[in-house]
Amino acid sequence: MAMSDWTIICRSMTSRRFSTVTTIITVAVAVGLMLTLLSMRDSGRKAFERGTGNMHLLISNDSSPLVSVLNGIFYANAPARPIPWSTFNQLVSTFPHEYAIPTQQGDSYLGLPVMATSTEFFSKFSPDANYDPSKPKEKQAGSPWRLAAGRFFERPFEVVLGAKAAEESGAEVGDVIELSHGMKTRRNQDSPAEHHTHSDFPYTVVGILELTGSSHDRAVFTDLNSTWIIHAHERRHRDDPTSPSTTQADLTDADRKITGIYLRLPTREGSNISPLLPTVAAKLRADPSITVAQPTKEIKSLFEIVSSIDQILLAMASAVMVSSGIAIMLALYNSMEQRRRQIAVLRVLGCSKPRIFGLIVTESAIIGLIGAFAGFGLAFVGSRVVAVAMKHRLGLVIDPTFDPKATAGVLLASLVLASAAGVVPALMAYRTPVAKNLRPIG
Amino acid sequence: MNEHAPALHIDTLRFRYPSSVTDSPWVVDVGSFSLGVGEQVLLTGASGRGKSTLLYLIAGLIEPAGGSVSVAGRDIFSVRGSQRDLFRGTKIGMIFQTFNLLHGFSALENVLAALLFSSIRPKEHDARAKELLDAVGIDSPGREVTQLSIGQQQRVAVARAVATSPAVVLADEPTASLDPENAEAAMDLIQSTCRSVGAALLCTSHDPAMATRFTRSESIDDLATPVRA
Repeated sequence: MAMSDWTIICRSMTSRRFSTVTTIITVAVAVGLMLTLLSMRDSGRKAFERGTGNMHLLISNDSSPLVSVLNGIFYANAPARPIPWSTFNQLVSTFPHEYAIPTQQGDSYLGLPVMATSTEFFSKFSPDANYDPSKPKEKQAGSPWRLAAGRFFERPFEVVLGAKAAEESGAEVGDVIELSHGMKTRRNQDSPAEHHTHSDFPYTVVGILELTGSSHDRAVFTDLNSTWIIHAHERRHRDDPTSPSTTQADLTDADRKITGIYLRLPTREGSNISPLLPTVAAKLRADPSITVAQPTKEIKSLFEIVSSIDQILLAMASAVMVSSGIAIMLALYNSMEQRRRQIAVLRVLGCSKPRIFGLIVTESAIIGLIGAFAGFGLAFVGSRVVAVAMKHRLGLVIDPTFDPKATAGVLLASLVLASAAGVVPALMAYRTPVAKNLRPIG
Repeated sequence: MNEHAPALHIDTLRFRYPSSVTDSPWVVDVGSFSLGVGEQVLLTGASGRGKSTLLYLIAGLIEPAGGSVSVAGRDIFSVRGSQRDLFRGTKIGMIFQTFNLLHGFSALENVLAALLFSSIRPKEHDARAKELLDAVGIDSPGREVTQLSIGQQQRVAVARAVATSPAVVLADEPTASLDPENAEAAMDLIQSTCRSVGAALLCTSHDPAMATRFTRSESIDDLATPVRA
């Protein structure tokens, strides 16, 4: 076995095993944190974009487009102001569209949001942005929605549960459930006007959806007529407590209200972008009674708002990386006192000062490199653990991917940082007085 | 390199520590001194007379105030930096009182380390190191040096000093930390090993009894530059 500079470096590292391992762990944690943050930032954005699906516009009566998207797609709150059914019919008749799906939110089931909609929600809207409803389903990779059990709703008072909603509620196909008016919160739990159960109208669970990785996984889906009927019944009961049960025939125009419209305009073959979008959006925005949101734009602006937090987190991760560089420097610096004699012996044996300098800088760089790769492994495992936790807790599917350029950049940065950290100890080694350090101790 | 040149030649070599005042006495003051090829000389003198400092000067590890040191015909101070380190690694071997072996390395690696910084071809290193360790009686070259006995460590130090077939071996009080019996054995080994590789030996000691082992013995006090009238 021939001796080389690597042997000297490896022996130096293994002779201070504890210090070497703890320094490597410090670098690994710093690199892991940085890579996880970068990966999660991109994956999180993709997960949000996935929620907006293949719609082009979201029409509501919310206070702003961003609120409209947060409420209408991400179920942040129930939209407060409705759109009359007549407005929906009038709006959709004014321009061509691939779909215009009405949605009504406001009710809940065990804290899970209820989305009343039409059957087109499952046949045309897709949480996958690349799904083109104008093409045959079988020619596309995966249908917009897949059922884990049962079927989609066909009649009033049937519900389909999102995968996460089914998991959280424990409901199964065939179960009979009761929906509640409004979302139960600490603020409204004692206010029957804001939160009460529609106990007169039980719903039957007819289907459970497969996980889509979007916000819709936490929703409970039913048809619009059911929602209109139960709210019309409440109105009728308020006016006349003796009134019999309400049916579709009892609905008035005032009962037929929606809170949102998912809109997709005609697109060119092979494209997800509609040439009509600017014109239609401008035309709709001219109507002051509605709010028009372009979900992808709103998500982008939302990420711009949170980007400052993002940058603070990245700055913190950078600071941790610099700290890890300082840790390498301190570990090597502290070892220099013990290594002076070894360095002096190597010098006597013919090792030049520049070679001694190189040995220490290389050792520092190796610690950085091992730490960087360990950090990559840590980030790889860590981001998957976070992704699993996000999927189980929020139903949000995050696919952690590492941008090759960013990953290479972080690994290179840690290598450069570690090499730079080795310069001070290397200079100490370079200047080690040989004769003084060869004298007998004591 | 001059093949007929002495292994070592010193001419008006003077040294004092840079921090010393200019008129303080020289720590090392050698007028003229030569060591023939393969010659073995004992350099005596009381502790603190500059014997070790002279060896470091010969090895080119410290800079003199003036004078020259030629090893195998080459003035060591005429080469600088890495070239001087390479020259030292190849032409000068050193043995220390406390051996100064590389801890954490095996006996074999200690000898290989000497070859690593020399101009000897890497292909030859392994066989050469093993052969030398075998010659000095080390039968477990893979053992870490701190696991070896003091006597064995001394043997490894000797093998390392002659690994590059140097022109001169500088032994600085090599027996000072050994009991008389081990000291005898160590000196036998050092002298015979130097003889076998054809290296000259300059051995320092403050023990006058050591003189019986050498055909030539010099006192460092007698090497001083003659004072001009």
